[in-house]
Amino acid sequence: MLKLKEVTTVIGGFAAIRNVSLEIEKGEFVALLGSNGAGKTTLFRTIAGVLKPANGSIEFKGLKINKLPPHKIVALGLSLCPEGRQLFPQLSVYKNLMLGAYTRRKDPKGVQQTLEQVYELFPILKERRNQPAGTFSGGQQQMLAIARALMSKPDMLLLDEPSMGLAPLVVQKIADAIKSISKEMGTTVFLSEQNANMALMITDRGYVLENGKLVLSGLSRELRNNDMVKKAYLGA
Amino acid sequence: MELFLQQIINGIMLGSTYAVVALGLTLVFGILHIPNFAHGHLYMLGGYVTFFLVTLYGFGFWTAMISSMVVLALVGMFVERVVYRPLRNQPHINSFISAIGALMFLETFVIVAWGPQGQRIPNPYPNPIEIMGIILTQQRLLVIIAAIVLIILLQLFLKKTTPGTTIEAVAQNREGAMLVGINVNRVSSMTFAIATATAAAAASLVAPIFMVSPSMGALLGMKAFIIVILGGLGSVPGAICGGYILGLIEALGGGYISADYKDVFAFGALILILAIKPTGLFGKEAG
Ligand SMILES: Nc1ncnc2c1ncn2[C@@H]1O[C@H](COP(=O)(O)OP(=O)(O)O)[C@@H](O)[C@H]1O
Ligand SMILES: [Mg+2]
Repeated sequence: MLKLKEVTTVIGGFAAIRNVSLEIEKGEFVALLGSNGAGKTTLFRTIAGVLKPANGSIEFKGLKINKLPPHKIVALGLSLCPEGRQLFPQLSVYKNLMLGAYTRRKDPKGVQQTLEQVYELFPILKERRNQPAGTFSGGQQQMLAIARALMSKPDMLLLDEPSMGLAPLVVQKIADAIKSISKEMGTTVFLSEQNANMALMITDRGYVLENGKLVLSGLSRELRNNDMVKKAYLGA
Repeated sequence: MELFLQQIINGIMLGSTYAVVALGLTLVFGILHIPNFAHGHLYMLGGYVTFFLVTLYGFGFWTAMISSMVVLALVGMFVERVVYRPLRNQPHINSFISAIGALMFLETFVIVAWGPQGQRIPNPYPNPIEIMGIILTQQRLLVIIAAIVLIILLQLFLKKTTPGTTIEAVAQNREGAMLVGINVNRVSSMTFAIATATAAAAASLVAPIFMVSPSMGALLGMKAFIIVILGGLGSVPGAICGGYILGLIEALGGGYISADYKDVFAFGALILILAIKPTGLFGKEAG
């Protein structure tokens, strides 16, 4: 479904990711582990088209997307739930969600169905649908950001550190929701995390990114027992 | 008392046009995060287009005004495309310089093409009417009503339609807007078109009362800029209230103290309000 070949992205003269190659099949649930500054956000923004790679190619569903602008990539069915959530703070929850479905604005019936689905996933969003997004707590904003990304009914969802800055109980809730997005909705999910504990518990396999390079990949349960991963990311 | 009411009406009329022009400026500011210094000059061009359509081509006033709005919408989109978009990722100072180039071009072009003197559009509704003892021409009343209608339509567009919501979305979070699939370049283009078309409407409405002249844009652009700062950068209600406040201050100050000083009152009010509330009337605290 998603295929990166030797992708390098330069920000401000500095190659934040270098020669990254990876492949994700339809229906997979994959983790991207890496400490702060490893290049996870840069990689995701490159895939989503916000940044243009200096080198390499990105294919999504067999189409080359590395020269496309972000709005065309979303329309193809690849949605990024970004770091820092990037919500529209003064707009209501409902309007945020409807903008999430912007690429499907000609299909109001389908949008209504997806809206019911995300309300089921996060009932708080339905309760507070008329509240401005900016008044939400961090956890609620994260739920809204995930829900907004789902409104485009993506085939593949990229989630950039959804647990960042959240209390353990909230992280658990978000993790459950992500699991159900993968398993019940059948969405292909690529999840970036510093919180390797959480990510490796729910994903099937994972990649490890260090200083902009992929250094390791494998099944999540194997990575959990890998000495290097244990030392660097599991606090063992 | 009569003088007072007369000046209030004048203030509301001035304020209505200021509000419309400032509204466009604040919308564009929300999208670009820099003020469009050429806004007042595009307003001037809108006045001229209406003037020529009426005097040279015999258009009716309303047809001329609507045609002028269409022409200026196209000009606005062109300005966005060639003056601002290429400098999008450059330091803001580059856009300032580019905008100043654009406004000097517009003003000089109009002077060379049509001369420095002011021109007057024949007043389509010169008859005076009397309301509560005050006498005003129908045109003045029309300016007020038309401006209010424009403001309401613009609000409905922003709050109730999807294209309008995309303007707010891009203003509040550009990257978030891209990621939900909004073509931000198209939104910038649309915002410019709306801002310049409404400015052309305002210029056309007051053209029979004041005059069109090459220098009318500079002062009005400056005032719109003041209003936008006064109301809080990027704030729509701020631009509307700011417009009326400035109009009233000018009319009352001009009527009671001295018309020569009316701009002093306007700019003085700006300094005073910013000293008390540095983020403007509707501005968000820091950020
Ligand atoms: N806008 C930027 N300008 C310069 N360097 C940046 C910018 N954004 C990120 N970087 C650098 O790129 C590297 C990767 O950052 P990032 O992709 O945000 O990592 P992560 O998401 O894994 O924390 C870091 O060294 C960071 O300092
Ligand atoms: Mg990051």
